[in-house]
Amino acid sequence: MAALLAELPRLFTYYNIVFLLTSAGVTLALTVAGCVVGLAAGFVVAAMRRTRAAWLLPVRLVLILFAELFRRIPFIVTLFLVFFISQGAGYNLPLFVIALVAVCIIASAYLAEVFRAGFSSVPRLQIEAAEAMNFSAARILFSVIVPQAWRVVLPAAVAFMVSLVKDTALASQLGVIELTFAGKVLVTRGYSSLLVYGVVLVGYYLMSYPLGRFGAYLERRLSGRGHRPALPEPGAA
Amino acid sequence: MNYTFQFGEVLKHSPELMRASLTTLEIAFAAFWGGCLLGIAGAMGKVYGNKAVVLVVRIYVGFFTNTPSLIQIFVLFYALPDYGIMMSPLTASIIGLTLNAGAYLTEIMRAGVISVRRNEMEAAEALGMSGLQSFWYVILPHIARTIYAPLSNMFIWLVLGSSIAGLFGVSELTGTAIDIGASTFRTIEVFLIAGGIYVMLTVVASVTLYLVGLWCFRVRARIF
Repeated sequence: MAALLAELPRLFTYYNIVFLLTSAGVTLALTVAGCVVGLAAGFVVAAMRRTRAAWLLPVRLVLILFAELFRRIPFIVTLFLVFFISQGAGYNLPLFVIALVAVCIIASAYLAEVFRAGFSSVPRLQIEAAEAMNFSAARILFSVIVPQAWRVVLPAAVAFMVSLVKDTALASQLGVIELTFAGKVLVTRGYSSLLVYGVVLVGYYLMSYPLGRFGAYLERRLSGRGHRPALPEPGAA
Repeated sequence: MNYTFQFGEVLKHSPELMRASLTTLEIAFAAFWGGCLLGIAGAMGKVYGNKAVVLVVRIYVGFFTNTPSLIQIFVLFYALPDYGIMMSPLTASIIGLTLNAGAYLTEIMRAGVISVRRNEMEAAEALGMSGLQSFWYVILPHIARTIYAPLSNMFIWLVLGSSIAGLFGVSELTGTAIDIGASTFRTIEVFLIAGGIYVMLTVVASVTLYLVGLWCFRVRARIF
């Protein structure tokens, strides 16, 4: 323990701190980009799943398959698939872009499920009433479902974002220089692995914990009285 | 895209992939049951323990749910040997995943424990139910309704999460896929097949869990 503490000042040199912070920035960039794309795509997937028109059947089928499959494949396999398929197709994409694509894919698949759960939390009777009043499908979605569903969707989406922060750690296996990879580099430079990984763990904690608290706050705030708090979800894997 | 798929090269290795799927399930089962024990202990500590115990459980849950399981296993596998604690990749990943699952399961089990209300126990007693009867007819239905779905989610998550072990050289599904990809250079095919096997494993697990829930606990878990 004393040896570890003695090593601390040697680890926290100016350049190491800058290195750790920039790589934490990459982790955050992956998370935020994944969430933004995932929210948009997840909404579209969940909305398309609600359509009933016959000519949209193939689209519906593809989207359902997409959302169900990528929630049943480990993130690391998705990551490798994106990497090798892009290589096989002859694109020489930077590793960060590959990780970004993989993160966006799983975020869309998982958030589509979050949206679906939110949409189905709206009482059926209201939708039937809107249909009886000859509301169009889009109008039902935007003036009946969304205004009520977002209270359910928002906390769950934040909870997923927390799990996404941790999942981006797997991008280090591809060689993307994010927080985990920075830890590996520092260990290779000869710093004690317990100390370095301890620092990296604290880094993840600092990113994930406030977000988790924010999600719990949103949930308390948005849901009515007598609501039982949601259980923690491990999210993607 | 002028890539010719050659699944034949990979299919020659299908016995290995089958064995690897079994290892994946073994890791998931080991971590699940270990995590359940930890979770029950943690939940009991959180509900009935004194302040010190509650604090310890909170730190445990907070730490393991807010940090990546990959780095937790890094610490077990790469950092602990400096202090004389050596373990095989398989042991390290099972311990890591168990600790991780235990943290989530603590919260799940806690929800189950607090879902049983004292009044109901008293009512069961007033009806003259024996201990076993009140457990079977009063406590279990409550707990099952609250925690069965999250428990089955957790198991599915562990089937997928065991893929991390492959990164440490365990020959479970992902690890074997990496090895086969390295020896045959058919990386796209092998990961497509591995992904397909994961989908099959989790669908079978979901359906089984749904049926078990329906028949044993009268709970309707979700499949899709």
